[in-house]
Amino acid sequence: MRKYLAFTAKAFQRTLTYRFELWVELFINVLFMLIYVYLWKALYTGKTTVEGYDLTRILTYIVVSQTLLSFHFTLRIARVIEEKVRTGEVVTDLMKPVDFQLMLLATGVGTSFHTVLFNMLPKLLLFYGGLSLSLPSSMLTVGFFIVSVMLGFVILFSIEFLIGILAFWVVEIRGIYFAVIWGISWFFSGYFLPLEHYPVLLAKIAEYLPFQAIIYSPTAIYVGRITGKAVVRVLRMQLFWTVALIGLGRLVYRAALRKLVIQGG
Amino acid sequence: MPIITVEHLSKQFKVHERPAGFWRSLGGLFSRTHRIIQAVDDVNFTLERGELVGYIGANGAGKSTTIKMLTGILVPTSGKVNVMALTPHQDRREYTRRIGVVFGQRTQLWWDLPVIDSFELLKHIYEIPEHAYKQNLAFFSELLQLHRLLSVPVRKLSLGERMRCDLTAALLHNPEILYLDEPTIGLDVVAKEQVRQFLKQVNAERQVTVILTTHDLNDVEKICQRLIIIDTGRIIYDGGIDELKQRYGRTRMLIVDLARAYPEIQIESADVIRREGNRIWLAFDRDTISASEVITRLTAQYEIQDLTISEPEIEEIVRQIYQSGIVA
Repeated sequence: MRKYLAFTAKAFQRTLTYRFELWVELFINVLFMLIYVYLWKALYTGKTTVEGYDLTRILTYIVVSQTLLSFHFTLRIARVIEEKVRTGEVVTDLMKPVDFQLMLLATGVGTSFHTVLFNMLPKLLLFYGGLSLSLPSSMLTVGFFIVSVMLGFVILFSIEFLIGILAFWVVEIRGIYFAVIWGISWFFSGYFLPLEHYPVLLAKIAEYLPFQAIIYSPTAIYVGRITGKAVVRVLRMQLFWTVALIGLGRLVYRAALRKLVIQGG
Repeated sequence: MPIITVEHLSKQFKVHERPAGFWRSLGGLFSRTHRIIQAVDDVNFTLERGELVGYIGANGAGKSTTIKMLTGILVPTSGKVNVMALTPHQDRREYTRRIGVVFGQRTQLWWDLPVIDSFELLKHIYEIPEHAYKQNLAFFSELLQLHRLLSVPVRKLSLGERMRCDLTAALLHNPEILYLDEPTIGLDVVAKEQVRQFLKQVNAERQVTVILTTHDLNDVEKICQRLIIIDTGRIIYDGGIDELKQRYGRTRMLIVDLARAYPEIQIESADVIRREGNRIWLAFDRDTISASEVITRLTAQYEIQDLTISEPEIEEIVRQIYQSGIVA
């Protein structure tokens, strides 16, 4: 366990190297969030509630979901794996007594922890200062929200891991990466729009996919759209996806390793 | 009891061929042709604990493939590898704790962080006890003059400096065997010499078994007692360095730039083995004729501009081994 904490610490430390990049990213994020805020304000003129969201709740939803979206920008595990395979660095990793998947997760946590501190929290504070947003109804809700965010994070990691591992078979994973992470995942994760606003069929499909567990679930818990027993059900669903995708990742990685050791890099 | 036993080791790769041309490459999407490449072919050897062995061959001879099978990154097509009673690719976790690996063309250090951070990470990865870590770090820092480098980010190091740090990184956990794949590639003369002396010292003082691949004969000449030559996947020589030099190292090469073009060049007791414009390569046996004699004969007949004498290269020795027909 300690060795993985060391990976987390070093990854955190490494992100400190690129401070300027971080400010630029934060600035661009805030601009986009402002666009969404004005868009929703305009849409709500003359309306009070749509699909169970009043203006305060929808703005809170947008600010929180946009904040969580930052994990997509920082994690990039698929690209990390692709790079390792392309450069052959993966061989150096294999020569270490460490678990490849856990090592990457630990590294991802380190990188993302930095994002939480220097990108996500500032954004939240900024928007809470400038808009009238709602707070979670209780400390328990905050607790559920945090657990839900963590599970969502591991689910995002696992999906990226699976895409990244494909690099052992195909030269170019960028197409799949964009299609899944910037396409399907964005569409079904509910980052742009709460899933309640989707047509029934699409909302139903979203429910059976792991992507909603990344952003929609924690955000809906935060704004109180999911409450009571439903929270437990959602968390259980997230836990299922976490275990299933991590397990699938291990299986696929083992197959990739078999291919590597038989056919070479 | 040998520390490494390699028996009838072979490795084949299946290489898919991509046909040239648009329509045929389109056809390649549906049916693919492949051919088999025999990278390593029935290789046998044993290594005793504490040996320092050079594993040499030209590019593509099968050196790296052998090292990859020894380190457990590749599974043999057939044959056996037994190292410290372990099978590398099966017992990887246990095995990697007891070996150190350096690949000359890549680094295991974290690019953006100061060198010392990578060392500390390795301390955790290998669960090295604090005092052992401190002791080793002090030992290697002294030997390789790392003190000034420890706080420098890896991306700012020169190739030679980085290699010194990579050597340390591979040895911090006290491995019993150190594998090096082309450790001197791309280094300047001074850095090469530093690496060689360091390996010699680590081998002698810490009883680390060292096996290094290289295509630079100078590497092995200075530090290895034994050397194994591989060509097209097969071992063609396994024995002492002195013996090899006596047997095959007698050939010297004279590279001559002629002042003008001559249609034909003939020198007694020397062979023109290559020719490019006005530059010719003359091979001669130093036991039959001295270099000065070759030059005298040359200048008597031709006008020359410049010349250099070179030591035999691995390709040349391999060529001679084949010619003389003595294959180990």
